[in-house]
Amino acid sequence: MLEAPVKLPEGEDVDLGRPAGAEPAGRPAVACAPPAGRKPANGEDVVSEDAAADEAPMLEARQLVKRFNLGTVNEVLAVDGLDLKVAPGEYVCIIGSNGAGKSTLMGCISGTSPPDSGRTFIEGQDVTVWPEHRRASLIGRVFQDPLSGTCASMTIEENMALAFRRGRRRGFRRGVGRAERDIFRAALARLDLGLEDRLTDPVGLLSGGQRQSLTLLMATLVRPKLLLLDEHTAALDPKTAGLVMDLTCGLVEEERLTTLMITHNMQQAISFGHRLIMLHQGRIILDFDQQAKRRLTVRDLLRQFQGSAMGQISDRLVLG
Amino acid sequence: MTFYAFTGALEQGLVYGLMALGVFITFRVLDFPDLTVDGSLPLGAAVSSICITSGVDPWLSLLPAMAAGFLAGAVTGALTAKLKILHLLSSILTMTALYSINIRIMGGRPNIALINQPSVFEPFRALAAALGLNVWLSSSLLFLVMAAAVTTAIIWLLRTEFGQALLATGDNPKMITSLGVDTQFTIIIGVGLSNALVALSGALVAQNQGAADVTMGVGTIVAGLASIVVGETIFGSRRIVGRVVSVVMGSVIYRLAIALALSLEYFQPSDLNFVTASLVVLALVMPKIKALAQKRRGVAHA
Repeated sequence: MLEAPVKLPEGEDVDLGRPAGAEPAGRPAVACAPPAGRKPANGEDVVSEDAAADEAPMLEARQLVKRFNLGTVNEVLAVDGLDLKVAPGEYVCIIGSNGAGKSTLMGCISGTSPPDSGRTFIEGQDVTVWPEHRRASLIGRVFQDPLSGTCASMTIEENMALAFRRGRRRGFRRGVGRAERDIFRAALARLDLGLEDRLTDPVGLLSGGQRQSLTLLMATLVRPKLLLLDEHTAALDPKTAGLVMDLTCGLVEEERLTTLMITHNMQQAISFGHRLIMLHQGRIILDFDQQAKRRLTVRDLLRQFQGSAMGQISDRLVLG
Repeated sequence: MTFYAFTGALEQGLVYGLMALGVFITFRVLDFPDLTVDGSLPLGAAVSSICITSGVDPWLSLLPAMAAGFLAGAVTGALTAKLKILHLLSSILTMTALYSINIRIMGGRPNIALINQPSVFEPFRALAAALGLNVWLSSSLLFLVMAAAVTTAIIWLLRTEFGQALLATGDNPKMITSLGVDTQFTIIIGVGLSNALVALSGALVAQNQGAADVTMGVGTIVAGLASIVVGETIFGSRRIVGRVVSVVMGSVIYRLAIALALSLEYFQPSDLNFVTASLVVLALVMPKIKALAQKRRGVAHA
C-alpha cells in the first residue's frame, strides 16, 4: 500500500510546486517512505485526512525576521519575514543550501535564538517570548551532533529519567523512579540495540549512532507537541543514518507527531514526510504537499530550485 | 609524625573535607571552576565569629555563616549565568570583593580572636573527657559526624530530580535546557550551595583554631582540588556514592600527606602551597600518563 506506484502525468515539465505559504492541501495518509514490511501504525489516519486541513495549526510562524551581526558590515538577514503553518500530525522536511535560514528558523521555534520580530505559536499559544527551557514542555529536539543530546557521564536510565521529566518541575523526589525503569526498558527494547540490559551503563560508552537513537527516543518519551530534528542523521555513517531514519519514521508515524526535519539530503527530503519546503535567503521558496512530493525527483527539485532562486547550489545539497 | 600532628591532620582533613565537598559541587558536578571559595571560607569564619562575639550561640552562628556563603556563591553564579561573565573571572571578582566585605563584617579589623568564647566543641570536649578519650580527638569526632552528615546529604541531593538536573547542567547544558531545565537557575543555586558548605567549613575552622582571619582563605581552592583529585586517583569511583565519599577521604589523606611531608626535616611550613600545587598537577596529569603508557604497551603488543 505504501509503495503504490505513483502515476506520473505525461510530459516532462510538470509544475510540482505550489506557491510558498499556501495551506497544505490535506493531511496525507503516509508519514514515511516505508522500510520494507512496515505497516502504517493506524489505518484510520486515511479517514481523518480531510479534517486535518481545517484544524488549527500545531505550529504557526508569522512574519519571522532574524538578523545577525546587526549594525556591522557583516549584517545578515537570516530569516526574512517567514510565514509557516504546520498542521497537527504533519511531518515537514526542510531543505535549503547553507545559510538559507533553516537552522535560524529552528532556533526561532525552539527558543535558542528568538526572532527580532514576528511571532511564534504552538497549538495556538503565543510562545514568542518564552525562554528555551520553558518551550521544552512542548518541544522535543534532536541535534546534529550525536553527542549533544545526551549526558555522557550519566547512565542510560538517568538520561532517560531527565527526558521523562521534560517540561516538569524538578523537585526532591528520586531522580530515577523505581517504576520508571520498566518504562525505559520497554522503550529501549524497540531500538533492538540491547540497551535495555544496560540501563546503568554511562552513555559515554555508547557509539554515536546508539546515542542518536537514544536521543530520539528521549525526545519522544513524553509526547511532544512538536518534534524538531536538525540534520539529525548528517553526522552518522550511511548505514547508521538509515537505522536512525527508520526509527524516526516509526516513532513519528506511531505517535503521529508534528515534526520538522532539516536535512541536507534531497533524497531523504523527498522520501520522508508529508511535505517538503525549501528555504532560500530566509524565505520559503518552494512548498510541496504529499501528492506533489510523490512525483518529485532530485533532478526536479534541482530544476525547481534553480528556476525559483537562480542561485547556486552547493555540492552537498546535490550529493547529500 | 607525632600523635599531635596526626590528630591535627585528621581534624583538618575532616573539617576542610566540608570545603572540599563544596568544591566538588562546583568543580565536578557543575563543571564550574569557582575561586569564590578563597573568599567564602573567611566569610563564613567572619560571620560566625562576629555572631559569637556578639553573644549568639556558636551552633546558631553557623546558619548566618552558611547563608552568607550561599549568597556569595549565588553572586558568582549570577555574574556568570545572567551577565555572561566568564565563570573563572566571575569567581575572582566575587573573591576580590569578599576581601573588603570580610574586613567590614569583622568591624574593620582583619581578624577576630575567639579565645575564651564559647564554641561548638565544648560539649564534645566534655564528652571526650567523660569517655576518657584524648581531648584532642573531640574536634575530630565532631567533624567526623558533620562530614558524614553532609556527605549523606549531598549523595541524597544528587540522586533527586534537582540533583540530576545539576549533574546534567555540568555535563551538557544544551541538552538539559532542551529538556526544560533553566541552567541559569541551577548554576546560581549550585554555586550557592557549594559556597554555603565552604563557609560552614570556614566557620568551624575559625572556632577550632580560635580566630577568624581575612587571609585564612588563601589557597582554599587548591586544597579543595587536591582533595578531590587525590580521592579520585586513589579510589577512582564512578558511582555517585563513591565519588562523594572519596572527596572526604581524599581530603583526609591529603592533609595526612602534607603533615607527613612537613614532618620531614627538609620542608618548612611555608612550603605547603608548593607541595600542594605540585600534588594537584601530578594528580591531574596522572590519568593522561596512564593512558599514554597503556597506548605504548598496546603498540608494543601489536
